[in-house]
Amino acid sequence: MSEVSLVPPASVVLVSGGSRGLGLAIVTDLLAAGLKVAAFARTVTPELAALSEKYPDHLHFGSVDINDAEAGQAFVKQVEQVLGPIDALVNNAAIGQDSLHVHTSADHLSEIIRTNLTSPLILTRFVLRRMLAKGLKGRIVNITSICAQRGYPGLVAYSATKGGMDAATRSLARELGGRILANSVAPGFFASEMSAVLGQTQLDQIVRRTPTGHLTEPEDVLPVVRMLLLENTNINGQVLVVDGAASI
Amino acid sequence: MVKRLTAWVVDGDPLGFGTMSSVARGRVREMMGEVMTAQGRSLPTDDTADLREIGFRSLDFSELALRVEDELGDELNFDAPGLRRIATVGDVLDFIEHLQSA
Repeated sequence: MSEVSLVPPASVVLVSGGSRGLGLAIVTDLLAAGLKVAAFARTVTPELAALSEKYPDHLHFGSVDINDAEAGQAFVKQVEQVLGPIDALVNNAAIGQDSLHVHTSADHLSEIIRTNLTSPLILTRFVLRRMLAKGLKGRIVNITSICAQRGYPGLVAYSATKGGMDAATRSLARELGGRILANSVAPGFFASEMSAVLGQTQLDQIVRRTPTGHLTEPEDVLPVVRMLLLENTNINGQVLVVDGAASI
Repeated sequence: MVKRLTAWVVDGDPLGFGTMSSVARGRVREMMGEVMTAQGRSLPTDDTADLREIGFRSLDFSELALRVEDELGDELNFDAPGLRRIATVGDVLDFIEHLQSA
């Protein structure tokens, strides 16, 4: 028996790591689009707090460490009471890396894997259980990285976690049978990240090699995330790369 | 609420206020019907009804298990091979019963 049953646009979205950078930009964009948004991060920034003054009925935020599963689950239940049932999750929280593998301590390596892979999977499991128990359909967007597909020095563990999330995305899409759409968005290196670790000459060289002529900005990623959360596109289990073709 | 409480089987507590240890088979069947109704289908009264024929898929089983967990207050985790052996409505009820007693 085959029935066409579309997944409705997201209405209440949980964004992990939503206090700064791309996460904050996603929260801001979704609020502007009229969605209810819940955001958490280890540290709540003044920018996130300011958004709650602008959108008092649409934004709920809290200080939660992604690695504290109990706190994360309590936050999810709190969000359901304040904003309503969560029908979309954006796994954005992650920590970076800038160290050669041979010089990365085993503890730091474990921390990267825990924060970027294990904890997001645990959060995803919990949110999915809440969605399914309520008979809801929904959407998951995992923010990964071009590092999952291309090799870069100094990012071994980080790349492994992002590749892991891309792989999980595909299996989730299969496992959830179209009831929950699961996709990844893989940005290239952000201009801000690159400028922090590279000199101007190196930056200019990378820009020259990028067909679109500019490095990725958070604003390039926002419409893609929004589309995956709101539109009926039949995109499921995919990794959408946003890097101006720098990696091809 | 009364309906929900009467579905519990209470072990070893003469006053009936003690540990709630399992969700009764009849209540599980009722919840299975709710899962199907929410999708515009109906649950046949016959326990030998084939799950494929009535359109009860593995995700529907997950939803049912989560609803049972909610009433049980405990997780019912299981591996996929166990799920693959389920073919009829009765199998679903047996499996949930087995999970609760494991």
